[in-house]
Amino acid sequence: MAEVFLPREALGELLGALRASGRAVIGPTVRDGAVVYDEVESPRDLPVGWGDEQAPGRYRLRRRGDERAFGYAVGPHSWKRFLFPAREALWRSESADGGVPRIEAASPDASPRAFLGVRACEIAAMDVQDRVFLGGRADPRYATRRAAALVVAVQCTEAGDLCFCASTGTGPRVEGGADLVLTEADDGFLVDARTDAGRAVLGALPVVPAGPERVAAAEAGVRACAAGMGRSMDVRGLPGLLFGNLDHPRWEAVAERCLSCGACTSVCPTCFCSTTETSSTVDGARHEVLRVWDSCFGSEHAQIHGADFRPTIGLRYRQWLTHKLGSWTAQFGVSGCVGCGRCVAWCPAEIDLTEEVAALREGADPPAPVPAAAPPPPAPGGDPLLPHPARVTARRVETPDVVTLTLDAGDLGDVLPGQFLMLGLPGIGEAPISVSGGGGGVVEHTIRDVGAVTRALCALSPGDHLGVRGPFGTAWPLEALRGRPVLAVAGGIGLAPLRGAIRAMLAAPADFPDVRVFYGARTPGDRLFLDELDAWTGRPGATVAVTVDHAPPGWDGHVGVVTRLLRGGAIPAGAAALVCGPETMMRYAVEALRAGGVPEEDIFVSMERNMRCAAGLCGRCQYAHWLVSRDGAVFPFARLREVFGRDGF
Amino acid sequence: MTASEPESGRGRPRLGVFKLASCDGCQLTLLDCEDELLALAGAVEIVHFPEVSSRLAAEGPFDLVLLEGSVSTEEQRELVHAVRARTPRLVAIGACATAGGIQALRNFADHEEYVRAVYARPEYVSTLAAATPASEHVRVDFELRGCPIDRGQLLELLVATLLGRKPQVPDESVCMECKRRGQVCVMVARGEPCLGPVTHAGCGAICPAYARGCYGCFGPKESPNPSALSARLSRDGASDDEIARRFRVFTGWAGPFREESLRRGR
Repeated sequence: MAEVFLPREALGELLGALRASGRAVIGPTVRDGAVVYDEVESPRDLPVGWGDEQAPGRYRLRRRGDERAFGYAVGPHSWKRFLFPAREALWRSESADGGVPRIEAASPDASPRAFLGVRACEIAAMDVQDRVFLGGRADPRYATRRAAALVVAVQCTEAGDLCFCASTGTGPRVEGGADLVLTEADDGFLVDARTDAGRAVLGALPVVPAGPERVAAAEAGVRACAAGMGRSMDVRGLPGLLFGNLDHPRWEAVAERCLSCGACTSVCPTCFCSTTETSSTVDGARHEVLRVWDSCFGSEHAQIHGADFRPTIGLRYRQWLTHKLGSWTAQFGVSGCVGCGRCVAWCPAEIDLTEEVAALREGADPPAPVPAAAPPPPAPGGDPLLPHPARVTARRVETPDVVTLTLDAGDLGDVLPGQFLMLGLPGIGEAPISVSGGGGGVVEHTIRDVGAVTRALCALSPGDHLGVRGPFGTAWPLEALRGRPVLAVAGGIGLAPLRGAIRAMLAAPADFPDVRVFYGARTPGDRLFLDELDAWTGRPGATVAVTVDHAPPGWDGHVGVVTRLLRGGAIPAGAAALVCGPETMMRYAVEALRAGGVPEEDIFVSMERNMRCAAGLCGRCQYAHWLVSRDGAVFPFARLREVFGRDGF
Repeated sequence: MTASEPESGRGRPRLGVFKLASCDGCQLTLLDCEDELLALAGAVEIVHFPEVSSRLAAEGPFDLVLLEGSVSTEEQRELVHAVRARTPRLVAIGACATAGGIQALRNFADHEEYVRAVYARPEYVSTLAAATPASEHVRVDFELRGCPIDRGQLLELLVATLLGRKPQVPDESVCMECKRRGQVCVMVARGEPCLGPVTHAGCGAICPAYARGCYGCFGPKESPNPSALSARLSRDGASDDEIARRFRVFTGWAGPFREESLRRGR
């Protein structure tokens, strides 16, 4: 459609037409010394005549001396605030006496909205978040709000002091993703309607044909903007560069300056990490679970029981940058940076990401190999964040601090060995627990009491209800290992995720003629599944070797770490290995297996990170190029070779 | 639910509220829980709470004690040990109990000189040389920060204790709360000095909401970097003395703030 011209005096009619279409108009407005996004009703609410000056850690409004309504560069807000709110109820629950807890999804606000003044970099940011929230297991809340938003873009004809979208290929020209595209001139707006919804709004406006001169002037403005960017960033090969330079001295230098306050991640239009928060009534009968913006600069982001994978500011900054500009590409198919400059302007410590990248290129080591860019893998539908009630049908005490619960699997579908479920109790919390067995409509979980949630889970009795989500993650690759000798190497509670795989292999001796279980426990009293260990030992084609770290008098079995069992002929030719246990144990097990001739492609490890949502939506299970709950937890070791055991991942 | 079963083995969990050197503002936050107060009074047995009831039972035993105030005198030093012995769960509430409070400013000076300067009859004043947080004397199970503490965080602590969950009291920066609220950074947009980037969240970023910089009343956040903030304040024109004073207010005795203020000032 030919572009048309909307005189400046008629800007109010655009707002009127958007409102008349039943939409609340969210647009730029001046508040507290900055251009922020909020509901606007008339052109008077817009930042008419305002521009800005920006520098690292500094932002000031300035009078432009003209009447431009969109003559500013992006401020502290982004549209993320409206599509992925900073706090949002996910679900509510109410306990019924002795019965099934009633769990209800909180319905998102689906009221139609028009976003006015969306920049090209912001459309790119929406595309990035679409990939996160809609690409894999879709978040129905985000989907609802995204579908209800009409995008009125404004092309930039002046670059901000900290803009670098020309470097990242995300602007300033608006290519797609908008319903209406405006380009502002002194006397009005060139308007291009790109969708039916946009054309419907345009139909109500007093537009005139634009004429070639206006079109050419707008084009020239956008070109000049691209040429005048306040910053630039060399993005070539960034993922490889960053992962090839994890020990670059610049990381330490920036850690000295970084406050780890999380301002950058909060203003970033693509950062999507979240945590959950539960609010409960005093009587404990009603609970509401909220999703809240989180940051990889916070202490809890990479914490699990007994481990903190990123305890220092330096490791957190490196995580942020290597994710944003590096591993994002393997996770979502695009870079996480759209060149908007917000993280630079709003950093209280005045850290400039473009300067950091340039500095990392100085004296850089060769790039590391990185996985190919890939969109999120397809995933089942439904609301992945909403728990479903499940009933405990049996409870078995394995050791003083380990319990196996059998759950009525209901409509969970197939749950494969290696996968996990989120088990939760309203008001207490959720924990990722691998399946340790199941089939025939039930699923088993073997749980060690290590914290508030697992303690409450271990205390459940047959007939009690809990909330479950899943199954999530990858399974042990049994199909691919048919016909080969398979070693199952387990440490501690790590035998639980392997039990289903061992059972399946032992049940099919024709496919798995040689199954060898190597199991290390702290003490004889900590051994799990004692009856089963005995039964496995007697199976043709199966061997079971058990060792303990500490032996009391009377123990006549092996003493020492599990890797000692892998010596001298324990590893047959052509074997593959499934490994699960504490990370240190897995590191040594992998070394022993490699030494025994098992190629890294045939060693499978089960990783554990902070799996908060388990659906790939909360960013908490970051592990270099992967999201553990989506791409793992079972990984071929060959994929992890570069980062396994490294600080900070 | 096992976790909520009172350790003392009698009915509802027994709550004690004690104070050391403090203004009482934090314990009054409990009374400020207006909508939930009745439910709370039903869920716990308030055994000792001098602000509320003259029926006192300081000897306990308790399942949970909220302790306000800093250890400022010899009697308080004895009391904090005694209280610790009467409860399995001791929660320090407020800037005084967790960092020494405003009265810990004397720790940076000669307290006898202060006493002589302030009191007409200094011989009546018996005090320790330093006002210190409970954690410098006994094991503390949990700390609620703030001057005063936040009502929502206190409720969360109590409800979490009753339910047996980990209290959700994030140790992140005030910036996180400020940004979630959609506020404009007062330091970046107005040049206002703000301790938000190094300060423990919990207040909801209330000062920046009123166009003021945070003055750090919740104390240092987890992994703070106060010297990086000082560098920024210094670039904005603050003198070392001004920076030292900024860190030395309600939580100036808290380790990272204390060290930074000593690096910058006397």
